[in-house]
Amino acid sequence: MEGKEPKKEQKRHQQKHSGPKAERKKSRKQLGTPAGDDERKRNPKAFAVQSAVRMAKTFHRAQDLKAKKHHIPLVDRTPLEPPPIVVVVVGPPKVGKSTLIRCLIKNFTRQKLADICGPVTIVSGKKRRLTFIECSNDINTMIDLAKVADLVLMLIDASFGFEMETFEFLNICQVHGFPRIMGVLTHLDSFRNNKALRKTKKRLKHRFWTEVYQGAKLFYLSGMVYGEYQTQEVKNLGRFISVMKFRPLVWQQSHPYVVADRMEDLTDPEMVRVDPKCDRTVSLYGYLRGTYLKNKGQVHIPGVGDFAVADISFLPDPCALPEAQKKRALNEKERLLYAPMAGVGGVVYDKDAVYIDLPGGHVNQEQEEVRPTTELVQSLISTHTTLDAKMAASKVSLFTGAAALTPGEVEEEENELTSGPQESRVWDPETQRERRKAVFTEEEDDDDSEGRSEEEGDEEGESEEEGEEDEEGNKREEEEETVLKNKAKDKTEPKEKQGIKTIPPAKRQKMEERKLGKEPVVEVPAFADSEDELEMSEEEEGGKGEQESEGEESDSEGEEDEEDSAVEKGDLKPIDSGHCSEEEDASDSIEDDCETNVSGKEGKKSNATSKMEEEDEEMEGGELCYESAGSLRWKEGLQQKASEAFLRQQRSAPNLRKLVYGTVAEDDGDGGEDEEELGGLFRVSRPEKGKKHRADGVDCSRFDPDAARNWDLEEMLDSIRDCFVTGKWEDDQDAATLLKEDEELYGEFEDLETGEVHKGKAAKQKDQAKEESDDDEEEEEEKLMNVDDETQKNKRLEKKRRLKERFDTEYDDGDATYFDDLKEEMQKQAELNRAEFEDVDDETRVQYEGFRPGMYVRVEIPSLPCEFVTNFDPHYPIILGALGASEGNVGYLQMRLKKHRWHSRILKTRDPLILSLGWRRFQTIPLYHIEDHNGRHRLLKYTPQHMHCGATIWGPITPQGTGFLAVQSVAGTKTSFRIAATGVVLDLDKSVTIVKKLKLIGYPYKIYKNTSFIKGMFNTVLEVAKFEGGSIRTVSGVRGQIKKALSTPAGAYRATFEDRLLMSDIVFLRSWYPVSVPQLYNPVTSLLMPAGQKDSWSGMRTVGQLKHDLGVRNKPNTDSLYKPVVRAQRHFNKLHIPRELQKALPFKSKPKQDQPKGKMPKDLQRPAVIREPHERKVAALLNALSAVHNYKSKKAHTAQHAKHKDFLRQRSKAEEDKLKRQKEAKKKLYRMMGQKEKKSQRSSLKGAPLDD
Amino acid sequence: MASQGLTYDGCNFFRQRLVLSTLSGKRVKIRNIRSKDDNPGLRDFEASFIRLLDKITNGTRIEINQTGTVLFYQPGLLYGGVVEHECNTQRSVGYYLEALLMLAPFMKNPLKAVLKGVTNDPTDPSVDQLKYTSIPVMKRFGIDGEGVLTPAKCMEVRSFCLCLRTCIFLYSVRVSPQMANRIVDSARSILNKFIPDIYIYTDHMKGDKSGKSPGFGLTLVAETLNGTFLSAEQVSTPQGQGDPVLPEDLGRNCAKLLLEEIYRGGCIDSANQSLALVYMTLGQQDVSKVLLGHLSPYTIEFLRHMRDFFQMMFKIETQKPAEDERKGGDKVLMTCVGAGYTNISKSIK
Repeated sequence: MEGKEPKKEQKRHQQKHSGPKAERKKSRKQLGTPAGDDERKRNPKAFAVQSAVRMAKTFHRAQDLKAKKHHIPLVDRTPLEPPPIVVVVVGPPKVGKSTLIRCLIKNFTRQKLADICGPVTIVSGKKRRLTFIECSNDINTMIDLAKVADLVLMLIDASFGFEMETFEFLNICQVHGFPRIMGVLTHLDSFRNNKALRKTKKRLKHRFWTEVYQGAKLFYLSGMVYGEYQTQEVKNLGRFISVMKFRPLVWQQSHPYVVADRMEDLTDPEMVRVDPKCDRTVSLYGYLRGTYLKNKGQVHIPGVGDFAVADISFLPDPCALPEAQKKRALNEKERLLYAPMAGVGGVVYDKDAVYIDLPGGHVNQEQEEVRPTTELVQSLISTHTTLDAKMAASKVSLFTGAAALTPGEVEEEENELTSGPQESRVWDPETQRERRKAVFTEEEDDDDSEGRSEEEGDEEGESEEEGEEDEEGNKREEEEETVLKNKAKDKTEPKEKQGIKTIPPAKRQKMEERKLGKEPVVEVPAFADSEDELEMSEEEEGGKGEQESEGEESDSEGEEDEEDSAVEKGDLKPIDSGHCSEEEDASDSIEDDCETNVSGKEGKKSNATSKMEEEDEEMEGGELCYESAGSLRWKEGLQQKASEAFLRQQRSAPNLRKLVYGTVAEDDGDGGEDEEELGGLFRVSRPEKGKKHRADGVDCSRFDPDAARNWDLEEMLDSIRDCFVTGKWEDDQDAATLLKEDEELYGEFEDLETGEVHKGKAAKQKDQAKEESDDDEEEEEEKLMNVDDETQKNKRLEKKRRLKERFDTEYDDGDATYFDDLKEEMQKQAELNRAEFEDVDDETRVQYEGFRPGMYVRVEIPSLPCEFVTNFDPHYPIILGALGASEGNVGYLQMRLKKHRWHSRILKTRDPLILSLGWRRFQTIPLYHIEDHNGRHRLLKYTPQHMHCGATIWGPITPQGTGFLAVQSVAGTKTSFRIAATGVVLDLDKSVTIVKKLKLIGYPYKIYKNTSFIKGMFNTVLEVAKFEGGSIRTVSGVRGQIKKALSTPAGAYRATFEDRLLMSDIVFLRSWYPVSVPQLYNPVTSLLMPAGQKDSWSGMRTVGQLKHDLGVRNKPNTDSLYKPVVRAQRHFNKLHIPRELQKALPFKSKPKQDQPKGKMPKDLQRPAVIREPHERKVAALLNALSAVHNYKSKKAHTAQHAKHKDFLRQRSKAEEDKLKRQKEAKKKLYRMMGQKEKKSQRSSLKGAPLDD
Repeated sequence: MASQGLTYDGCNFFRQRLVLSTLSGKRVKIRNIRSKDDNPGLRDFEASFIRLLDKITNGTRIEINQTGTVLFYQPGLLYGGVVEHECNTQRSVGYYLEALLMLAPFMKNPLKAVLKGVTNDPTDPSVDQLKYTSIPVMKRFGIDGEGVLTPAKCMEVRSFCLCLRTCIFLYSVRVSPQMANRIVDSARSILNKFIPDIYIYTDHMKGDKSGKSPGFGLTLVAETLNGTFLSAEQVSTPQGQGDPVLPEDLGRNCAKLLLEEIYRGGCIDSANQSLALVYMTLGQQDVSKVLLGHLSPYTIEFLRHMRDFFQMMFKIETQKPAEDERKGGDKVLMTCVGAGYTNISKSIK
């Protein structure tokens, strides 16, 4: 329209040349800016506040917004090298999960994985690793994976729309902390119409947003190319994943867990052969996530149960991050892929074995590059032992509890036993571990111990090179011990030795690690047996020395002294161990001649004394025994030694770690030593005096003072002089230096200051300080003369800087808020956490803080059910969730529960329900209840529809605040929405107070005014007594009180009411009956189900299901049945009015004889027909005629009927005949035809040979 | 299903085991309790202690065999609330209090315990000592009088402590008031050499208020510059048992004990070492450090038990004093990573 018409010229602006407007403008031009008008612009500050209220409001709002942004600062506990991020790919079947994982793996590592089986770990970037797990459609798997997922890739088939699984999974996630969720739409290529595609996208996106959060990322995979997603799209998705940030989830942050990516069965094959259903020992491998994991804790494996961990050790990272480089991209070698369950990552080095996986198509380059094959083969060869070796290694024990004998020993003992070790007795089992058993020949032992001591030397920095003889001696002792005592360790040793022989250094390192892990009792690697031995002998000495020196002083104490020896021993220990550690140090840094002498002596002594003697010593080590045979020599100069020890104690620090943790092992060893055999066969039983005393000592926390310190001596007093404010302080805090500093800063105020100070209590101290400082000042002045300008300038600068610092601290603090302070504090703590154990080696560090998240650990679990191994399916995730302090126990849990909105049915009390709580999935029987206004928990029969209610269960103790979800069954997908309820744990009270309403009913049998006697409510007097004073009520609402029991009808009582009762009243007593929670805790053992049926676990059935399955129908209460109401006719007597009364009544009220004439209803009004006599006659005649007619017709009808019957019979007969005839005719005809055919055939047959 | 238990021999460190068992939720079995003794089995005071534990917990299962030589203890939930307990007189109230102090912050309801029994005896810390030394330790961990608090923050106490002043808490019951003066004089005679700041609190009881047995004793508390307390105490032997003690000797000995305590040094005195360690262990999963004096045998055993129950190992470093310093013996720097213990008995609404 506009285009067509010619544009009209718009009216131009015309400037005013006259009038007020023009004048104003003119004046403005002349004056420049007018004063009154533009003050706002010129002086905005003056007009900043226009309304105080508004200002306050805006300020408030700004502060609110600021405060809203704050989170409670938490200590940053993320490990430096975090574990791979768990990416769980979820979705209904046939949506493209495996394809997506395959594409992503290909995108990151350039490798193709055919079968996605178990978790797949890859290195995705310089600082990030990813573990992909595919989640099957089983609700068990969904629940387990939602608990460990960091990122969820939720695949949605766009061509179909959302499916229930998606929503179920979202709900599961919401309950167990909300991991990052990214939606991925697939099957977008099935849309032909572009508009429909856009609409679907939008619809799905908005639905997704309402479920997750507004603006949640939804990714579109447009189509497939050769069965894979488009490379560019996958690459983009990969980028999204590798830059994604994750928020900490409470449960994951507070519980260590391992998503196992490898499983090895370590059970002895012989045991399995004997009993295929024996419990299995299994080692599981995976990255540790969450927090620190302590060794020997308890873990829960969802789908299996709770287990105690036998041992945890860390292994080298199989999929390590690349070394720090200044490169942007990863090179080909660094793009690692580790998926042992899928058959990638072929060679795996375990603690004590090497596993080689040889899958068909996969040749793994990285692994081969890491280890040369030759080495592999070598190590493999070394694991095999010949039968001879096994024979030699086998042991036999004659008595229970006695140490096993090796063949070598048996020979030594001149074949005391009749036939030597029989093969059948104790054969060495054939597992790999067992094969390692030692070959106890002397030479080998020597080698062995050498190897070991070498290792030990490596382990400890401190005691690297001890005296040569010393070492020898130690080795001997060691052998003895290892042979006789430490069976478990022995098994590993020869293997180690071989390993050391054959395998290059890197390998040896590993072996050491393994060995260290093997010692469960000692635990502290730094203190192998040899040192303990040394320590022990030292202890003896020290103890004796002390005893002797004390004995002189305090003989009179006598028995009491012995009693207290436990405590004394504790006191002595630091001395001894101090001595010991000192000795170790001595070899490194030879300072004190006397010390080295002592150690030298030690060594010689231990060499000189024979083995037997040594054993004796060991035995008596703990007991401070005097009678060690033949070894009296070393007692010489005991006193001197003791005094030396004392002196040393003054100077040196005792090695406390050994004292505290090391000697525990030693104590344990004590028992073992006592059980040591004489001549290899018999045990010496001695009264364990010292131990007993310690075990039954007085439980007292008092730390008795060291008798050695005599506080009467001036030296001793002097030694703590500096502990008081009156003494000399630390260098930088010394009163003198501080004063000096002050002088430097505020020299001119000196006089004033001292004047003030002199008033104080601590006058003396200050005086002292001042004197000192005066001296210092003089000295300094002298010095100052010598110093040049340079230093002066420096000093000035320094002073300035210090002043500024002081100023800063004074004035900057005001700005810092509480929040900032808190944040800073957390920051500091985080730094401390990081720095504290940074330089400690991993072996030790692991003991202090547990295994760090990010480590690749091997967790050994004994006594797993055999089904776990036999029914193992790598497609189902195995999660090891560690349990907290008391989370292994079972108890009552109070929770808040709400039936899920989408679940179609309400839940019934006492119906078994499957809960997912913490790591666990278990079936339990909840009781639903609701809190009344007076705090009473009233039992509910059913959960309310749209309201929270309480639920109490018997289940595993889980910290309060943990969320849970409930499903009614984990088998199949019968219900539309499987999640039945969600909630949170509130309380773990062991005493449950759920009550159920109970109404007791009674009937009055005697009523006196307001008092009634009531029976039928109770049965005995005792019951009544219990309820005396209880309030009762009648149905009509009359309230009353129970007064006292009556004797005659048992259970009757007297009660008073606020009004008189009727005999027809029913009295009831409202009371509450406590309900006990059924103790059912039934873990869902879905992983133990046979393969293919893992999603079909079914536990306890509900009563309804049982009845349905068994076809049982409820017998209804007969009282509740509907019956026809039979009402007895009510019969009223006639009202009889006496005649006298009748007479007296007025007419109106007198009973009338005749009934009142009521109007006939219209339908009843019918004209009566009265016939004339003629008509009557006619009617009679007609009647008679019709009767005759009726009779006749009836007769005719019967006749006709009979006739018809006859006819039918005849007809059927004729029909039959006809059929017969026809049949015969047909027969005849067919015969004819057959004959004819035969004839023609015959003729043709005849004709043929004729032709020939 | 339930977690595996621990087994111990003998009745020593009885309290430690039960307290740690209660905190960790691990059941414990103690065998051979004085099995070789003429009078085998649990003593009355131990039975009383078990009863006290039963009172403050909920759902605890205790089984003792007929001779009393075997005790099985399955801990329940720490419940707290108002508890009144008649303590056995074989041990003083301190015996029970020490354990209660460890458990108190982890209760469901604030614990208010009224313990009746002997206040002072030679084996256990007196109520005074616990009041003046343990409570400040608890305060350092953020546990403050009223209410239930889990240790919110870990303590890092590393700087060395200087003694600022000393307080003498003195009590005398049914003895001449002159005794008190004699004790003070003797104690002062030693302490004055170091520090003039000595505060004296005397608690002389007579008549009805005083208990049944006569005696006297004193607690010495040294306050340091950074607010920690070291203490020592000594009481007279009960009447009719052992040799009578002269008040002068008592004062002197106690002063020496305090000097010994100062010599050992550290930020926490020897009686409260285990208390501080428990709070450190149960703190958040952060590194916490504390400087202690010599570890007492009780503490050493406590550390071992801690490893059994919580798998908690401390990093123990010895700090040697410098050559010219005169600050007493070696100090021990204990470092640990907290177990991240949460108070599961508390209920949320």
